[in-house]
Amino acid sequence: MQKILSVIKREYLQIVRTKGFIIGTVLGPVLIGAFLVIPVVFSLISVDQQEQIGVVDLSGEVAGGLEEKLDQKMKDGKPRFVLKLYENSKDENIKDLKEEMNQKVLNEEFSAYIFIPEGIIKGGSVEYVSQHVSDFDKIGNIHDAVNSVIIEKRLKKEGLDPQKIAQHMKEVSLKTSKVTQRGVEEDTGGTFIISYLLVFILYMTLFFYGSIILRGVIEEKSSRVVEIVLSSLRPFQLMLGKIMGIAAVGFTQYAIWALFGLGVSQYGSSLISGFFPAASFNFPSIPAYIFIYFVVFFILGYFLYATVYAAIGSLVNSEKEAQQLLLPVSMFLVVPILLMMYVIRSPESTLSVVLSMIPFFAPILMLLRVCVLFPPFPQVAGSILLLILTILAMVWVVAKIYRVGILMYGKRPRFPEIIKWFRYQ
Amino acid sequence: MQALEVENVSKSFGSFLAVNDLSFSIPQGTIYGLLGPNGAGKTTTIRMVMNIIIPDQGFIHVLGQKMNEHMKEKVGYLPEDRGLYPKMKVEELLFFLSALKGLKRDEVGRRIDYWLDRFDLGEWKNKKVEELSRGMQQKIQFIVTVIHRPDLIILDEPFGGLDPVNTKLLKDIMLEMKKEGHTIIFSTHRMEQVEMICENICLINRAKKVLEGSLNQIKKQYGKNTLLLDYEGEGHFIHKLSGVEHIDDYGKFMEIRLADTRDPQNLLKELAEKVRINRFEVKQPSLNAIFIDKVGDKNAKDPIGH
Repeated sequence: MQKILSVIKREYLQIVRTKGFIIGTVLGPVLIGAFLVIPVVFSLISVDQQEQIGVVDLSGEVAGGLEEKLDQKMKDGKPRFVLKLYENSKDENIKDLKEEMNQKVLNEEFSAYIFIPEGIIKGGSVEYVSQHVSDFDKIGNIHDAVNSVIIEKRLKKEGLDPQKIAQHMKEVSLKTSKVTQRGVEEDTGGTFIISYLLVFILYMTLFFYGSIILRGVIEEKSSRVVEIVLSSLRPFQLMLGKIMGIAAVGFTQYAIWALFGLGVSQYGSSLISGFFPAASFNFPSIPAYIFIYFVVFFILGYFLYATVYAAIGSLVNSEKEAQQLLLPVSMFLVVPILLMMYVIRSPESTLSVVLSMIPFFAPILMLLRVCVLFPPFPQVAGSILLLILTILAMVWVVAKIYRVGILMYGKRPRFPEIIKWFRYQ
Repeated sequence: MQALEVENVSKSFGSFLAVNDLSFSIPQGTIYGLLGPNGAGKTTTIRMVMNIIIPDQGFIHVLGQKMNEHMKEKVGYLPEDRGLYPKMKVEELLFFLSALKGLKRDEVGRRIDYWLDRFDLGEWKNKKVEELSRGMQQKIQFIVTVIHRPDLIILDEPFGGLDPVNTKLLKDIMLEMKKEGHTIIFSTHRMEQVEMICENICLINRAKKVLEGSLNQIKKQYGKNTLLLDYEGEGHFIHKLSGVEHIDDYGKFMEIRLADTRDPQNLLKELAEKVRINRFEVKQPSLNAIFIDKVGDKNAKDPIGH
């Protein structure tokens, strides 16, 4: 036991000290955080530029109300849009007028102009002309403003009160809730994003830690240190120590991420609104039971795949050689990702239930089902039990392969040879 | 009590018989040569002694006890296929591998300093293994093998990659450890090294023991009629002389084994008529000659140029 502890300690320190681990651990949440925060920040930054907008109002009825409706303010309190009215004083024809305005846009006298035709109250369309028309946010604002001015005018002409109409026309909102064994929870879509994120983190880390184990075993084999180590302990102790040591690395990383996540969901919203009062942003929070299942399925998935990667490492002489054998293993991890959308949409279908019970798919698919729609408990317990049994069987099988493979150099053994190893004492 | 007893041990991998009914024993406090050509079964035998693989048949006793995991702490093993963790620092590595031998951390520190100092590696203590030369790594590996003061030390080609100065240093340490009562198993292909330091040997070929005993006795058994001849001139006729049983031609000189009935003095006369003789010596056969005789196949026994 003392010897296994020494191996665990070595494996742990060797990985935790590497730059790769530190960068991955710190950068992981920073990247995810950035992914959530940066778009918000940028949308706030773009607000802060005052723009001159030309207005040609041939109807003479719209421009007046427009200034009042287009009242967006910048951080320093100045209006974002400055409207500049152009009268058609010289009775030019419309074509010449537009040509003149176009020129002004090109000379950057103003960033855009709005052309309102004469009979707009009766019908027709307003034109918006600019050098670039890809700022949907800005165009949307202007569209809304023009729209509401014109509609108000129309309503007033018919003798209706725009304010009353607005009240009657108020949209009915659709509130989505999710009913579970635990009761009713309001779901704003955040749970979905979080599930997606958790499943993706699980998938990435299973891959990541598997390849760390693979590399560790190959390093021991190719540097030929393995025989020196085995003159002190059993192959099984070495394998177990390695798998546990890397598991400890995984827990460390997850713990750091969990603390970070907790911090963000606790203080993130207030932090952001502290810096940018204009933004209203709510971080979705993870229900505790989902987080527990996440950790459970990470542990089980890790041990299952760790044994597979350890076996592959013991069979090959180099990482390059390992690639061929890795392909089927990667398939086991990729298939559930491909099936993800299907399972999200019909989590209760027979296919979803069966797939999520298969041990090699279970960590990802069962976690997904837990997130989307909590499955009947026997199914969850069953998949966990199956996973544990499979892990025990894998440890037994892999130990037999590992103890022989790790001392074999040269040609990679064929499958029938590996079967023979089971009979070796 | 013997330091090591191997009794009727066999081991096969599938249909390949790696070790076949092998027995030998090693007295305590001696240096024992375990010899054999490549693929003879030496490494498999050593791995069984180390409990890394388990014999199909037979028994292995180390220091009077049946070999088990616990006994690994009493044995030190320097494998032929050896290496170290390239990314670890020297001291860290030595601490780790000593811990695997059951040593407590506080007693290891002094021993590490002593050995690093002895091999002149003190300033490399905090360097990564991959920064060391092959010779230095070799010395670190030797330290790993003996740091837990094992009663039985197994060295497989310990001098490979060492310069003459370090070879001498290592040989001196081996003799010193023998004096202190440690038993050493020395496995190599370099017969002159075996002749220098081993009292007893065991020669294995094709999974079976072909020779065992004290080096002196084996040489005596091989007869006194061995000549060492250094000559100038055309020497092809020597192979055809009567009573010449076997010749090992080393280029600069040749080792000739004569039939017991043949008198070396007569041979000297015959030779002196045809070639110029620089050196003519009646001696015990070299271990190298015995090795080649026992292990070489039938064709190799015929003299070259015959």
